[in-house]
Amino acid sequence: MAALLFGAFFVLLMLGIPVAIAIGVAAMVALATEGVPLMLVVQRMFAGVDSFALIAVPFFILAGDLMSAGKVSAKLVEFADAVFGFLRGGLSIVSVLAGMFFAAISGSGAATTAAVGTTLVPELKRKGYEEASAAGLIAASGTIGVVIPPSVPMIIYAVIAEVSLARLFLNGFFPGVVMGIALIVIAVVQAHKRAYPTGTPFSIRTLLGALRGAIWGLFTPVIILGGIFSGIFTPSEAAVVAVNYALIVSLAIYRDMTPRDVYRIMIKSVITTAVVMFVISTSAVLSWTLANWNIPTIVANAVLDLARNPYLVMLLITAVIIITGVFLETASALIILTPVFLPLINRLGIDPIHFGLVIVVGLAIGMITPPVAINLYVAASITDLPIERITRAILPYLIGLVIVLLLVVFVPMVVGVSG
Amino acid sequence: MLRLLRSIERGIDAIIRRIAFAALAGMILTITLQIVFRVLFQALVWSEEAARYLLVWTTFLGAVLAYGRGRHIAVTVLVDALPARLATVARSFAHAVAIVFFIVIAVVGLRYMRLQSFQVSASLRIPMPIVYAVIPASAVIMLIYAVRDVIELAEG
Repeated sequence: MAALLFGAFFVLLMLGIPVAIAIGVAAMVALATEGVPLMLVVQRMFAGVDSFALIAVPFFILAGDLMSAGKVSAKLVEFADAVFGFLRGGLSIVSVLAGMFFAAISGSGAATTAAVGTTLVPELKRKGYEEASAAGLIAASGTIGVVIPPSVPMIIYAVIAEVSLARLFLNGFFPGVVMGIALIVIAVVQAHKRAYPTGTPFSIRTLLGALRGAIWGLFTPVIILGGIFSGIFTPSEAAVVAVNYALIVSLAIYRDMTPRDVYRIMIKSVITTAVVMFVISTSAVLSWTLANWNIPTIVANAVLDLARNPYLVMLLITAVIIITGVFLETASALIILTPVFLPLINRLGIDPIHFGLVIVVGLAIGMITPPVAINLYVAASITDLPIERITRAILPYLIGLVIVLLLVVFVPMVVGVSG
Repeated sequence: MLRLLRSIERGIDAIIRRIAFAALAGMILTITLQIVFRVLFQALVWSEEAARYLLVWTTFLGAVLAYGRGRHIAVTVLVDALPARLATVARSFAHAVAIVFFIVIAVVGLRYMRLQSFQVSASLRIPMPIVYAVIPASAVIMLIYAVRDVIELAEG
Protein backbone atom coordinates (compact mmCIF):
# COMPACT_ATOMS: atom_id res chain seq x y z
CA MET A 1 0.00 0.00 0.00
CA ALA A 2 2.78 2.41 0.93
CA ALA A 3 4.54 1.53 -2.33
CA LEU A 4 1.40 2.26 -4.36
CA LEU A 5 0.80 5.52 -2.53
CA PHE A 6 4.33 6.89 -2.83
CA GLY A 7 4.87 5.39 -6.29
CA ALA A 8 1.76 7.07 -7.66
CA PHE A 9 2.69 10.35 -5.97
CA PHE A 10 6.23 10.28 -7.36
CA VAL A 11 5.13 9.51 -10.94
CA LEU A 12 2.44 12.22 -10.87
CA LEU A 13 4.91 14.71 -9.43
CA MET A 14 7.52 14.01 -12.11
CA LEU A 15 4.87 14.56 -14.80
CA GLY A 16 4.61 18.15 -13.63
CA ILE A 17 1.23 17.81 -11.92
CA PRO A 18 0.82 20.41 -9.14
CA VAL A 19 1.97 18.96 -5.80
CA ALA A 20 -1.42 19.45 -4.12
CA ILE A 21 -3.24 17.57 -6.88
CA ALA A 22 -0.58 14.83 -7.09
CA ILE A 23 -0.97 14.22 -3.34
CA GLY A 24 -4.78 14.21 -3.60
CA VAL A 25 -4.87 11.82 -6.56
CA ALA A 26 -2.31 9.42 -5.02
CA ALA A 27 -4.31 9.28 -1.78
CA MET A 28 -7.54 8.84 -3.76
CA VAL A 29 -6.09 5.90 -5.71
CA ALA A 30 -4.89 4.25 -2.50
CA LEU A 31 -8.28 4.76 -0.83
CA ALA A 32 -10.21 3.51 -3.85
CA THR A 33 -8.20 0.27 -4.09
CA GLU A 34 -8.97 -0.39 -0.43
CA GLY A 35 -12.65 0.33 -0.96
CA VAL A 36 -12.75 3.37 1.34
CA PRO A 37 -15.62 5.72 0.33
CA LEU A 38 -14.33 8.81 -1.52
CA MET A 39 -16.55 11.00 0.66
CA LEU A 40 -13.63 10.86 3.03
CA VAL A 41 -11.51 12.86 0.57
CA VAL A 42 -13.76 15.93 0.69
CA GLN A 43 -14.29 15.55 4.43
CA ARG A 44 -10.53 15.49 5.14
CA MET A 45 -9.78 18.29 2.64
CA PHE A 46 -12.22 20.47 4.55
CA ALA A 47 -11.06 19.44 8.03
CA GLY A 48 -7.41 19.92 7.03
CA VAL A 49 -7.83 23.68 6.61
CA ASP A 50 -10.68 24.24 9.09
CA SER A 51 -8.22 25.24 11.82
CA PHE A 52 -7.85 28.39 13.90
CA ALA A 53 -4.11 27.82 14.28
CA LEU A 54 -3.65 27.96 10.50
CA ILE A 55 -5.14 31.47 10.39
CA ALA A 56 -1.64 32.63 11.28
CA VAL A 57 -0.51 31.52 7.79
CA PRO A 58 -2.34 34.12 5.64
CA PHE A 59 -1.69 36.95 8.07
CA PHE A 60 2.03 36.47 8.58
CA ILE A 61 2.26 36.31 4.78
CA LEU A 62 0.15 39.47 4.42
CA ALA A 63 2.05 41.38 7.12
CA GLY A 64 5.32 40.55 5.33
CA ASP A 65 3.93 41.52 1.92
CA LEU A 66 2.62 44.86 3.23
CA MET A 67 5.91 45.68 4.95
CA SER A 68 8.05 44.76 1.95
CA ALA A 69 5.91 46.70 -0.54
CA GLY A 70 6.24 49.92 1.41
CA LYS A 71 9.17 51.85 2.81
CA VAL A 72 9.69 49.54 5.79
CA SER A 73 12.24 47.27 4.11
CA ALA A 74 14.20 50.23 2.70
CA LYS A 75 14.35 51.78 6.17
CA LEU A 76 15.55 48.51 7.70
CA VAL A 77 18.32 48.29 5.10
CA GLU A 78 19.29 51.92 5.83
CA PHE A 79 19.55 51.12 9.51
CA ALA A 80 21.62 47.97 8.94
CA ASP A 81 23.90 50.06 6.70
CA ALA A 82 24.35 52.69 9.41
CA VAL A 83 25.43 49.95 11.83
CA PHE A 84 27.83 47.88 9.69
CA GLY A 85 28.17 49.70 6.36
CA PHE A 86 31.56 51.21 7.28
CA LEU A 87 33.33 47.82 7.32
CA ARG A 88 35.09 46.28 4.33
CA GLY A 89 32.42 44.46 2.35
CA GLY A 90 29.95 46.20 4.64
CA LEU A 91 27.08 45.85 2.20
CA SER A 92 27.35 42.04 2.38
CA ILE A 93 26.98 42.20 6.14
CA VAL A 94 24.11 44.63 5.66
CA SER A 95 22.25 42.21 3.39
CA VAL A 96 22.48 39.43 5.98
CA LEU A 97 21.54 41.71 8.87
CA ALA A 98 18.61 43.23 6.95
CA GLY A 99 17.51 39.66 6.16
CA MET A 100 17.53 38.87 9.87
CA PHE A 101 15.52 42.02 10.70
CA PHE A 102 13.00 41.24 8.01
CA ALA A 103 12.80 37.60 9.15
CA ALA A 104 11.37 38.89 12.41
CA ILE A 105 8.52 40.53 10.47
CA SER A 106 7.91 38.04 7.69
CA GLY A 107 7.27 34.31 7.88
CA SER A 108 8.49 33.43 4.42
CA GLY A 109 11.87 32.96 2.78
CA ALA A 110 10.85 34.31 -0.61
CA ALA A 111 9.38 37.49 0.89
CA THR A 112 12.54 38.07 2.91
CA THR A 113 14.72 37.59 -0.19
CA ALA A 114 12.50 39.93 -2.20
CA ALA A 115 12.37 42.62 0.49
CA VAL A 116 16.14 42.74 0.99
CA GLY A 117 17.00 42.12 -2.66
CA THR A 118 14.93 44.87 -4.28
CA THR A 119 16.41 47.48 -1.93
CA LEU A 120 20.02 46.32 -1.90
CA VAL A 121 20.80 44.96 -5.37
CA PRO A 122 21.11 48.37 -7.14
CA GLU A 123 23.41 49.55 -4.35
CA LEU A 124 25.55 46.39 -4.52
CA LYS A 125 25.93 46.79 -8.30
CA ARG A 126 26.87 50.44 -7.96
CA LYS A 127 29.60 49.69 -5.42
CA GLY A 128 31.16 47.00 -7.62
CA TYR A 129 30.27 43.90 -5.63
CA GLU A 130 30.54 40.62 -7.50
CA GLU A 131 26.93 40.35 -8.69
CA ALA A 132 26.24 36.61 -8.65
CA SER A 133 27.82 36.31 -5.23
CA ALA A 134 25.76 39.21 -3.86
CA ALA A 135 22.58 37.68 -5.26
CA GLY A 136 23.54 34.34 -3.72
CA LEU A 137 24.13 35.92 -0.33
CA ILE A 138 20.73 37.62 -0.41
CA ALA A 139 19.05 34.33 -1.35
CA ALA A 140 20.94 32.56 1.44
CA SER A 141 19.95 35.27 3.96
CA GLY A 142 16.36 34.74 2.84
CA THR A 143 16.42 31.25 4.36
CA ILE A 144 16.63 32.91 7.80
CA GLY A 145 13.13 34.27 7.07
CA VAL A 146 11.54 30.97 8.11
CA VAL A 147 13.84 30.31 11.08
CA ILE A 148 13.60 33.58 13.03
CA PRO A 149 9.93 33.85 14.11
CA PRO A 150 7.31 34.36 12.77
CA SER A 151 7.58 31.47 10.35
CA VAL A 152 4.96 29.90 8.09
CA PRO A 153 6.65 26.46 8.06
CA MET A 154 6.78 26.51 11.89
CA ILE A 155 3.02 27.20 12.02
CA ILE A 156 2.40 24.20 9.76
CA TYR A 157 4.76 21.99 11.76
CA ALA A 158 3.16 23.00 15.07
CA VAL A 159 -0.28 22.12 13.71
CA ILE A 160 0.78 18.70 12.37
CA ALA A 161 2.98 17.72 15.31
CA GLU A 162 0.57 19.23 17.87
CA VAL A 163 3.28 21.17 19.69
CA SER A 164 3.24 24.70 21.12
CA LEU A 165 3.88 27.22 18.34
CA ALA A 166 4.99 29.82 20.89
CA ARG A 167 7.73 27.45 22.13
CA LEU A 168 8.79 26.63 18.58
CA PHE A 169 8.98 30.35 17.74
CA LEU A 170 11.00 31.06 20.88
CA ASN A 171 13.49 28.30 20.04
CA GLY A 172 13.81 29.53 16.45
CA PHE A 173 15.67 32.71 17.42
CA PHE A 174 18.99 31.15 18.30
CA PRO A 175 19.45 28.95 15.19
CA GLY A 176 18.36 31.91 13.04
CA VAL A 177 20.97 34.18 14.58
CA VAL A 178 23.66 31.49 14.21
CA MET A 179 22.75 31.13 10.52
CA GLY A 180 23.16 34.90 10.15
CA ILE A 181 26.54 34.88 11.90
CA ALA A 182 27.77 32.01 9.70
CA LEU A 183 26.80 33.92 6.54
CA ILE A 184 28.39 37.13 7.81
CA VAL A 185 31.68 35.34 8.57
CA ILE A 186 31.81 33.83 5.07
CA ALA A 187 30.89 37.20 3.51
CA VAL A 188 33.62 39.04 5.44
CA VAL A 189 36.28 36.51 4.36
CA GLN A 190 35.16 36.93 0.72
CA ALA A 191 35.16 40.72 1.05
CA HIS A 192 38.81 40.73 2.12
CA LYS A 193 39.82 38.29 -0.61
CA ARG A 194 38.07 40.37 -3.27
CA ALA A 195 39.17 43.69 -1.77
CA TYR A 196 35.63 45.09 -1.66
CA PRO A 197 35.37 48.79 -0.83
CA THR A 198 34.61 50.06 2.64
CA GLY A 199 31.39 52.04 2.94
CA THR A 200 30.67 55.48 4.33
CA PRO A 201 32.45 56.10 7.65
CA PHE A 202 30.53 55.34 10.81
CA SER A 203 28.68 58.24 12.34
CA ILE A 204 26.53 58.20 15.42
CA ARG A 205 24.28 60.88 13.93
CA THR A 206 23.56 58.82 10.79
CA LEU A 207 22.92 55.82 13.01
CA LEU A 208 20.38 57.66 15.12
CA GLY A 209 18.69 59.14 12.04
CA ALA A 210 18.44 55.70 10.45
CA LEU A 211 17.15 54.23 13.68
CA ARG A 212 14.41 56.84 13.80
CA GLY A 213 13.40 55.94 10.25
CA ALA A 214 13.47 52.22 10.91
CA ILE A 215 11.81 52.27 14.32
CA TRP A 216 8.34 51.42 12.98
CA GLY A 217 9.65 48.34 11.22
CA LEU A 218 11.88 47.29 14.10
CA PHE A 219 8.94 47.60 16.47
CA THR A 220 6.87 44.96 14.60
CA PRO A 221 8.60 41.91 16.10
CA VAL A 222 8.23 43.50 19.54
CA ILE A 223 4.45 43.59 19.06
CA ILE A 224 4.16 40.16 17.45
CA LEU A 225 6.52 38.22 19.66
CA GLY A 226 5.92 40.23 22.81
CA GLY A 227 2.19 39.64 22.41
CA ILE A 228 2.62 35.90 21.92
CA PHE A 229 5.16 35.28 24.67
CA SER A 230 3.39 37.41 27.25
CA GLY A 231 0.24 35.42 26.53
CA ILE A 232 -1.81 38.47 25.51
CA PHE A 233 -2.68 36.91 22.17
CA THR A 234 -2.48 33.56 20.44
CA PRO A 235 -0.10 33.34 17.47
CA SER A 236 -3.08 33.60 15.06
CA GLU A 237 -4.28 36.76 16.77
CA ALA A 238 -0.74 38.14 16.80
CA ALA A 239 -0.60 37.66 13.03
CA VAL A 240 -3.76 39.76 12.63
CA VAL A 241 -2.37 42.41 14.99
CA ALA A 242 0.75 42.52 12.80
CA VAL A 243 -1.44 43.11 9.74
CA ASN A 244 -3.34 45.93 11.45
CA TYR A 245 -0.03 47.44 12.51
CA ALA A 246 1.42 47.17 9.00
CA LEU A 247 -1.72 48.82 7.59
CA ILE A 248 -1.45 51.71 10.05
CA VAL A 249 2.28 52.15 9.36
CA SER A 250 1.90 52.20 5.59
CA LEU A 251 -1.40 54.08 5.28
CA ALA A 252 -1.07 56.59 8.13
CA ILE A 253 2.60 56.93 9.12
CA TYR A 254 4.76 56.44 6.02
CA ARG A 255 1.80 57.12 3.70
CA ASP A 256 3.53 55.19 0.95
CA MET A 257 0.49 53.15 -0.04
CA THR A 258 -2.98 53.79 -1.41
CA PRO A 259 -6.03 51.63 -0.59
CA ARG A 260 -5.73 50.37 -4.19
CA ASP A 261 -2.19 49.07 -3.40
CA VAL A 262 -3.52 47.38 -0.26
CA TYR A 263 -6.18 45.59 -2.34
CA ARG A 264 -3.56 44.40 -4.84
CA ILE A 265 -1.23 43.18 -2.07
CA MET A 266 -4.10 41.38 -0.33
CA ILE A 267 -4.97 39.48 -3.52
CA LYS A 268 -1.29 38.58 -3.93
CA SER A 269 -1.23 37.26 -0.34
CA VAL A 270 -4.46 35.31 -0.90
CA ILE A 271 -2.79 33.49 -3.79
CA THR A 272 0.44 32.81 -1.87
CA THR A 273 -1.64 31.56 1.07
CA ALA A 274 -3.89 29.37 -1.06
CA VAL A 275 -0.93 27.68 -2.73
CA VAL A 276 0.29 26.53 0.69
CA MET A 277 -3.16 25.86 2.16
CA PHE A 278 -4.29 23.81 -0.85
CA VAL A 279 -1.33 21.49 -0.29
CA ILE A 280 -2.26 21.29 3.40
CA SER A 281 -5.83 20.49 2.41
CA THR A 282 -5.12 17.54 0.10
CA SER A 283 -2.31 16.36 2.38
CA ALA A 284 -4.88 15.88 5.12
CA VAL A 285 -6.24 13.03 2.96
CA LEU A 286 -2.73 11.63 2.58
CA SER A 287 -1.98 11.76 6.31
CA TRP A 288 -5.27 10.01 7.09
CA THR A 289 -4.28 7.30 4.62
CA LEU A 290 -0.78 6.99 6.10
CA ALA A 291 -2.13 6.74 9.64
CA ASN A 292 -4.83 4.27 8.62
CA TRP A 293 -2.22 1.83 7.33
CA ASN A 294 0.22 2.54 10.17
CA ILE A 295 2.84 3.60 7.67
CA PRO A 296 4.67 5.98 10.06
CA THR A 297 5.02 3.12 12.59
CA ILE A 298 6.26 0.79 9.84
CA VAL A 299 8.82 3.40 8.79
CA ALA A 300 9.91 3.84 12.43
CA ASN A 301 10.37 0.07 12.88
CA ALA A 302 12.24 -0.31 9.62
CA VAL A 303 14.65 2.51 10.44
CA LEU A 304 15.22 1.27 14.00
CA ASP A 305 15.94 -2.24 12.67
CA LEU A 306 18.57 -0.69 10.46
CA ALA A 307 20.23 1.47 13.10
CA ARG A 308 19.61 2.04 16.79
CA ASN A 309 22.12 4.76 17.47
CA PRO A 310 20.10 7.99 17.77
CA TYR A 311 22.95 10.08 16.30
CA LEU A 312 23.09 7.85 13.24
CA VAL A 313 19.30 7.87 12.83
CA MET A 314 19.19 11.66 13.12
CA LEU A 315 21.96 11.94 10.53
CA LEU A 316 19.93 9.70 8.22
CA ILE A 317 16.74 11.73 8.78
CA THR A 318 18.65 14.97 8.19
CA ALA A 319 19.95 13.61 4.88
CA VAL A 320 16.40 12.68 3.83
CA ILE A 321 15.19 16.18 4.79
CA ILE A 322 17.94 17.88 2.74
CA ILE A 323 17.35 15.65 -0.32
CA THR A 324 13.58 16.19 -0.14
CA GLY A 325 14.16 19.93 0.14
CA VAL A 326 16.19 19.88 -3.07
CA PHE A 327 13.26 18.51 -5.06
CA LEU A 328 10.19 19.76 -3.21
CA GLU A 329 9.03 23.17 -2.09
CA THR A 330 9.24 23.81 1.69
CA ALA A 331 5.60 23.51 2.77
CA SER A 332 4.88 20.36 0.72
CA ALA A 333 8.06 18.65 1.94
CA LEU A 334 7.22 19.58 5.53
CA ILE A 335 3.66 18.31 5.28
CA ILE A 336 4.76 14.98 3.82
CA LEU A 337 7.81 14.32 6.02
CA THR A 338 6.51 15.42 9.42
CA PRO A 339 3.83 12.74 9.96
CA VAL A 340 6.14 10.05 8.56
CA PHE A 341 9.00 10.86 10.95
CA LEU A 342 7.14 11.85 14.13
CA PRO A 343 6.69 8.35 15.64
CA LEU A 344 10.36 7.62 14.96
CA ILE A 345 11.37 10.87 16.66
CA ASN A 346 9.23 10.01 19.68
CA ARG A 347 10.75 6.52 19.96
CA LEU A 348 14.24 8.05 19.90
CA GLY A 349 13.25 10.41 22.69
CA ILE A 350 13.93 13.49 20.56
CA ASP A 351 12.00 16.57 21.69
CA PRO A 352 9.44 17.33 18.92
CA ILE A 353 10.28 21.04 19.27
CA HIS A 354 13.92 20.20 18.55
CA PHE A 355 12.87 18.12 15.55
CA GLY A 356 10.72 21.04 14.35
CA LEU A 357 13.83 23.23 14.25
CA VAL A 358 15.79 20.52 12.42
CA ILE A 359 13.14 20.08 9.74
CA VAL A 360 12.53 23.82 9.30
CA VAL A 361 16.24 24.69 9.02
CA GLY A 362 16.83 21.65 6.79
CA LEU A 363 14.04 22.57 4.41
CA ALA A 364 15.04 26.25 4.50
CA ILE A 365 18.35 25.15 2.97
CA GLY A 366 16.23 23.61 0.19
CA MET A 367 15.18 27.16 -0.74
CA ILE A 368 18.65 27.72 -2.25
CA THR A 369 19.28 24.28 -3.79
CA PRO A 370 18.07 23.91 -7.40
CA PRO A 371 16.01 22.65 -9.18
CA VAL A 372 13.31 23.70 -6.70
CA ALA A 373 14.83 26.77 -5.01
CA ILE A 374 12.39 29.62 -4.49
CA ASN A 375 14.94 32.09 -3.05
CA LEU A 376 17.30 31.60 -6.00
CA TYR A 377 14.46 32.29 -8.43
CA VAL A 378 13.51 35.45 -6.56
CA ALA A 379 17.15 36.60 -6.47
CA ALA A 380 17.55 35.78 -10.17
CA SER A 381 14.49 37.77 -11.16
CA ILE A 382 15.65 40.79 -9.14
CA THR A 383 19.19 40.75 -10.56
CA ASP A 384 18.41 39.45 -14.09
CA LEU A 385 21.19 36.90 -13.67
CA PRO A 386 20.85 33.30 -14.89
CA ILE A 387 20.14 30.78 -12.09
CA GLU A 388 23.29 28.81 -12.99
CA ARG A 389 25.60 31.70 -12.16
CA ILE A 390 23.98 32.35 -8.79
CA THR A 391 24.02 28.62 -8.07
CA ARG A 392 27.78 28.46 -8.50
CA ALA A 393 28.29 31.52 -6.31
CA ILE A 394 26.05 30.16 -3.56
CA LEU A 395 28.20 27.12 -2.71
CA PRO A 396 30.17 28.67 0.19
CA TYR A 397 26.95 29.92 1.83
CA LEU A 398 25.32 26.54 1.31
CA ILE A 399 28.20 24.79 3.07
CA GLY A 400 27.98 27.30 5.93
CA LEU A 401 24.25 26.70 6.35
CA VAL A 402 24.66 22.90 6.28
CA ILE A 403 27.23 23.18 9.09
CA VAL A 404 24.73 25.24 11.09
CA LEU A 405 22.08 22.58 10.39
CA LEU A 406 24.37 19.87 11.78
CA LEU A 407 24.85 22.02 14.91
CA VAL A 408 21.06 22.36 15.22
CA VAL A 409 20.71 18.58 14.90
CA PHE A 410 23.45 17.47 17.27
CA VAL A 411 24.14 20.21 19.85
CA PRO A 412 20.84 19.66 21.73
CA MET A 413 21.55 15.90 21.74
CA VAL A 414 25.12 16.32 22.98
CA VAL A 415 24.18 18.69 25.78
CA GLY A 416 21.37 16.33 26.68
CA VAL A 417 18.26 18.48 26.26
CA SER A 418 16.93 16.19 23.54
CA GLY A 419 17.47 12.58 22.48
CA MET B 1 -14.20 28.01 -28.04
CA LEU B 2 -10.88 29.14 -26.61
CA ARG B 3 -11.92 32.81 -26.84
CA LEU B 4 -15.17 32.03 -25.06
CA LEU B 5 -13.40 30.10 -22.28
CA ARG B 6 -10.88 32.90 -21.84
CA SER B 7 -13.57 35.57 -21.48
CA ILE B 8 -15.47 33.35 -19.04
CA GLU B 9 -12.24 32.95 -17.09
CA ARG B 10 -11.65 36.71 -16.94
CA GLY B 11 -15.18 37.27 -15.62
CA ILE B 12 -14.95 34.52 -13.03
CA ASP B 13 -11.52 35.67 -11.92
CA ALA B 14 -12.78 39.22 -11.30
CA ILE B 15 -15.68 37.94 -9.19
CA ILE B 16 -13.52 35.53 -7.19
CA ARG B 17 -10.91 38.22 -6.53
CA ARG B 18 -13.61 40.32 -4.87
CA ILE B 19 -15.04 37.46 -2.79
CA ALA B 20 -11.57 36.34 -1.71
CA PHE B 21 -10.69 39.92 -0.75
CA ALA B 22 -13.90 40.14 1.27
CA ALA B 23 -13.11 36.83 3.00
CA LEU B 24 -9.60 37.94 3.93
CA ALA B 25 -10.80 41.37 5.09
CA GLY B 26 -13.61 39.62 6.99
CA MET B 27 -11.06 37.49 8.82
CA ILE B 28 -9.03 40.56 9.80
CA LEU B 29 -12.17 42.27 11.11
CA THR B 30 -13.46 39.20 12.96
CA ILE B 31 -10.20 38.47 14.74
CA THR B 32 -9.60 42.13 15.54
CA LEU B 33 -13.06 42.23 17.14
CA GLN B 34 -12.28 38.98 18.96
CA ILE B 35 -9.19 40.55 20.57
CA VAL B 36 -10.89 43.86 21.38
CA PHE B 37 -13.94 42.18 22.93
CA ARG B 38 -11.88 39.74 24.98
CA VAL B 39 -9.62 42.44 26.38
CA LEU B 40 -12.23 45.18 26.94
CA PHE B 41 -15.58 43.43 27.27
CA GLN B 42 -16.31 39.73 27.20
CA ALA B 43 -15.15 37.11 24.73
CA LEU B 44 -17.17 36.65 21.55
CA VAL B 45 -18.51 33.14 21.02
CA TRP B 46 -18.83 33.19 17.25
CA SER B 47 -15.63 34.85 16.07
CA GLU B 48 -13.37 31.82 15.99
CA GLU B 49 -15.82 29.74 14.01
CA ALA B 50 -16.45 32.57 11.54
CA ALA B 51 -12.72 33.08 11.03
CA ARG B 52 -12.14 29.35 10.43
CA TYR B 53 -14.85 29.14 7.76
CA LEU B 54 -13.57 32.31 6.10
CA LEU B 55 -10.12 30.66 6.00
CA VAL B 56 -11.63 27.63 4.24
CA TRP B 57 -13.27 29.92 1.69
CA THR B 58 -10.07 31.94 1.21
CA THR B 59 -8.13 28.71 0.68
CA PHE B 60 -10.34 27.27 -2.05
CA LEU B 61 -11.08 30.57 -3.81
CA GLY B 62 -7.40 31.45 -3.69
CA ALA B 63 -6.63 28.01 -5.11
CA VAL B 64 -8.80 28.91 -8.12
CA LEU B 65 -6.95 32.23 -8.60
CA ALA B 66 -3.63 30.39 -8.32
CA TYR B 67 -4.75 27.73 -10.80
CA GLY B 68 -5.78 30.31 -13.38
CA ARG B 69 -2.35 31.91 -13.08
CA GLY B 70 -0.43 28.62 -13.13
CA ARG B 71 0.90 29.40 -9.65
CA HIS B 72 0.40 26.03 -7.96
CA ILE B 73 3.73 24.47 -7.13
CA ALA B 74 4.78 21.77 -9.56
CA VAL B 75 8.05 20.04 -10.39
CA THR B 76 8.51 20.90 -14.06
CA VAL B 77 12.25 20.26 -14.55
CA LEU B 78 11.75 16.79 -15.97
CA VAL B 79 8.94 17.69 -18.38
CA ASP B 80 10.81 20.83 -19.49
CA ALA B 81 13.82 18.68 -20.38
CA LEU B 82 11.80 16.34 -22.63
CA PRO B 83 11.73 16.75 -26.43
CA ALA B 84 8.84 19.00 -27.50
CA ARG B 85 6.46 16.24 -28.69
CA LEU B 86 6.97 14.11 -25.60
CA ALA B 87 6.59 17.14 -23.35
CA THR B 88 3.21 17.88 -24.94
CA VAL B 89 2.11 14.30 -24.29
CA ALA B 90 3.23 14.56 -20.64
CA ARG B 91 1.50 17.91 -20.19
CA SER B 92 -1.74 16.63 -21.73
CA PHE B 93 -1.65 13.66 -19.38
CA ALA B 94 -1.03 16.01 -16.42
CA HIS B 95 -4.06 18.12 -17.37
CA ALA B 96 -6.15 14.97 -17.81
CA VAL B 97 -5.25 13.81 -14.29
CA ALA B 98 -6.17 17.24 -12.92
CA ILE B 99 -9.50 17.12 -14.78
CA VAL B 100 -10.35 13.71 -13.29
CA PHE B 101 -9.40 14.99 -9.82
CA PHE B 102 -11.65 18.06 -10.15
CA ILE B 103 -14.57 15.97 -11.44
CA VAL B 104 -14.31 13.60 -8.48
CA ILE B 105 -14.06 16.48 -5.99
CA ALA B 106 -17.05 18.26 -7.58
CA VAL B 107 -19.26 15.14 -7.62
CA VAL B 108 -18.27 13.88 -4.17
CA GLY B 109 -18.41 17.43 -2.80
CA LEU B 110 -21.99 17.86 -3.96
CA ARG B 111 -22.91 14.50 -2.45
CA TYR B 112 -21.30 15.55 0.80
CA MET B 113 -23.29 18.82 0.79
CA ARG B 114 -26.52 16.86 0.33
CA LEU B 115 -25.58 14.44 3.09
CA GLN B 116 -24.99 17.35 5.49
CA SER B 117 -28.03 19.34 4.32
CA PHE B 118 -29.64 19.47 7.77
CA GLN B 119 -26.47 20.31 9.68
CA VAL B 120 -25.95 23.80 11.05
CA SER B 121 -22.70 25.20 12.45
CA ALA B 122 -22.14 25.07 16.20
CA SER B 123 -22.24 28.75 17.14
CA LEU B 124 -23.34 30.77 14.10
CA ARG B 125 -26.12 28.31 13.21
CA ILE B 126 -25.39 28.70 9.50
CA PRO B 127 -26.33 25.72 7.29
CA MET B 128 -23.16 23.66 6.74
CA PRO B 129 -23.85 23.06 3.02
CA ILE B 130 -23.18 26.80 2.48
CA VAL B 131 -19.78 26.40 4.11
CA TYR B 132 -18.98 23.22 2.16
CA ALA B 133 -20.20 24.65 -1.16
CA VAL B 134 -16.88 26.35 -1.83
CA ILE B 135 -15.19 22.95 -2.40
CA PRO B 136 -17.30 21.65 -5.33
CA ALA B 137 -17.66 25.21 -6.68
CA SER B 138 -13.92 25.77 -6.82
CA ALA B 139 -13.43 22.28 -8.31
CA VAL B 140 -15.86 23.08 -11.13
CA ILE B 141 -14.13 26.38 -11.93
CA MET B 142 -10.67 24.79 -11.89
CA LEU B 143 -12.12 22.10 -14.17
CA ILE B 144 -13.05 24.81 -16.69
CA TYR B 145 -9.52 26.24 -16.45
CA ALA B 146 -7.98 22.79 -16.95
CA VAL B 147 -10.11 22.26 -20.08
CA ARG B 148 -8.91 25.63 -21.35
CA ASP B 149 -5.31 24.46 -20.71
CA VAL B 150 -5.90 21.32 -22.77
CA ILE B 151 -7.40 23.26 -25.69
CA GLU B 152 -4.50 25.73 -25.57
CA LEU B 153 -2.08 22.82 -25.71
CA ALA B 154 -3.93 21.20 -28.63
CA GLU B 155 -3.94 24.44 -30.62
CA GLY B 156 -0.25 24.92 -29.87
